[in-house]
Amino acid sequence: MTTRHLFTGAVVWSRPWMSYDAMARHLAVGCAGFIGVQTLVSDDREIIQRVLQGEIDRYAELITRYQQHVAKIANRHVPSDRVAEVAHDVFVRAYSSLSSFSGRTPFEHWLSGIAVRTCYDFWRARRREELPVSSLATEHQAWMDHVLAAESDDQFREQARRQEAAELLQWALGHLSAENRLVLTLVHLDGYSVREAADLLGWTVVNVKVRAHRARQMLRALLLERKRQDDDTTQR
Amino acid sequence: MTPLNDDQLKKVERALTEAHRSRHTPSLGADWSFRVLRDIRREAAGHGPSRVALGLDRLAWRTAAVAAILALIFTGSVWLNTNRDTVELAALLSNELDATVPLTE
Repeated sequence: MTTRHLFTGAVVWSRPWMSYDAMARHLAVGCAGFIGVQTLVSDDREIIQRVLQGEIDRYAELITRYQQHVAKIANRHVPSDRVAEVAHDVFVRAYSSLSSFSGRTPFEHWLSGIAVRTCYDFWRARRREELPVSSLATEHQAWMDHVLAAESDDQFREQARRQEAAELLQWALGHLSAENRLVLTLVHLDGYSVREAADLLGWTVVNVKVRAHRARQMLRALLLERKRQDDDTTQR
Repeated sequence: MTPLNDDQLKKVERALTEAHRSRHTPSLGADWSFRVLRDIRREAAGHGPSRVALGLDRLAWRTAAVAAILALIFTGSVWLNTNRDTVELAALLSNELDATVPLTE
């Protein structure tokens, strides 16, 4: 248990994009486990036991504790205006399968898996609806040119924070299947390792590796095609 | 027209990754928590997680192998008995045929 908590602390530093509150929680878990006092993880288990015994209102504590974590995961995968809806589904699903939580992994990790799979189901359902993929305007074409022309880090970051960047990314992801979209987001955009992504998705490592490679090739092909079309339009 | 080379493509990808990571997470609010809890209470009142149901599920999986072996034994015994019955029936029929042979000879 102590080793796991020390390891938890090490994982934090390998993920620079992890929020400060998540970092604090991970470190608290690690330190508390190390000195042998009651940890947040065991606290979660106690709450889960109580909920399973019928004290449903105790589930509110888990919601309060992890809602931001779930919202953050959902926000990386689905449009901002659908985050609340997806996070809602995540907590209802987690409650429905709470009795299958073994406690071998931290509750946060177990919940992350449910969150990722709920996002996957969100895109699978959307694909069936056959929603049209929005087209791009001339600003997006200009954005790509500005990024390529950026010489300093500040200029580059400024371009990356622009709305056009997010829209271009959503346009490209919209062309991918739910599976490829999810794997690309987890592995290439969020920076999870192939093994971590496989754990979250419940897929094999080989499947994730193959899909991640394929999805990246598709993204690159889309960007190249986009650039070619934009250049053609400019020349006319 | 100059197509993007590998370095340029990587630069665009890096910018898109940065854009992805700098997305602002919307806060969910108190109303949201209330709605989630309301749905969970509804779920619990209807078909919430039942330990008995889960126990039955686990029992079903644990006994699946035994059930499969029993099913195989049963199938085998049915097949053997059916074959034996066929032989016996054939023997019986042949006896009957023998019995129908006229005794005049």
